[in-house]
Amino acid sequence: MTPIKILSVCGSGVVTSSMIANKLKDMFAEKGYDAETVEANSSEVEGYCTREHFDLIAYASPIGDSCGVPAFNAIGLITGMGEDEFMEEAIAALHKAGK
Amino acid sequence: MLRKELIQLHMDCKDSQEVIRKLAESFVKCGAVRESFVDAVLEREKNYPTGLPAVAYDIAIPHTASKHVIEPAMAVGILNKPVEFHQMGSPEIILHPQVVFMLAISDPKEQLTLLRRIMKLLQNKKLLDDVKSAETPDQVYDLLHPAVDA
Repeated sequence: MTPIKILSVCGSGVVTSSMIANKLKDMFAEKGYDAETVEANSSEVEGYCTREHFDLIAYASPIGDSCGVPAFNAIGLITGMGEDEFMEEAIAALHKAGK
Repeated sequence: MLRKELIQLHMDCKDSQEVIRKLAESFVKCGAVRESFVDAVLEREKNYPTGLPAVAYDIAIPHTASKHVIEPAMAVGILNKPVEFHQMGSPEIILHPQVVFMLAISDPKEQLTLLRRIMKLLQNKKLLDDVKSAETPDQVYDLLHPAVDA
């Protein structure tokens, strides 16, 4: 299992981001990744990204600057529609970074 | 989590704020949340909308920070006519939910299983369709209880 770290972002940094974080752990485990997730609200993104390294950002609320971290809209993970597209794009970004 | 007194059918509301206020006040009434919950959910919805284009139809899942919550609960509101909600993550998109699930989560880490179940529910087309056509709160409760609380 390749370890990766994902920042999961929503409005309050609580309910929706936790739902997404759960889903990410399950889906990435199936693809051979051990995903560690950190839940945050939109305004915390920049601070987190300057303090720690993240491989991906999954967001359910618009984020400002993602500081160069590949960021993907994760609404599809909640509705169940567009999960495959999300994973394709996310994994392509991980491959690009050599993971 | 799910309580019969938090299920409202045939709601007649002119906009999303009215739906949110009515559902949030029912939480206050049954003691699941603090009084600050009502304004907190309204405020959050304004800044971070919770409309979702779900698999069966548009829904919304208004909620707010845990500090306003005393114990986890979920309310279901079924409207006579859809109202406008903005889409989560893409506020420029307007959705028209007729079914609203309001969530009171006091500790997301502790309530992970619950959040997983709610996500499953949001992706269950048959169940959502059945909920929308239910005629009494008891019917809605019987449909959702096994999915959320079992």
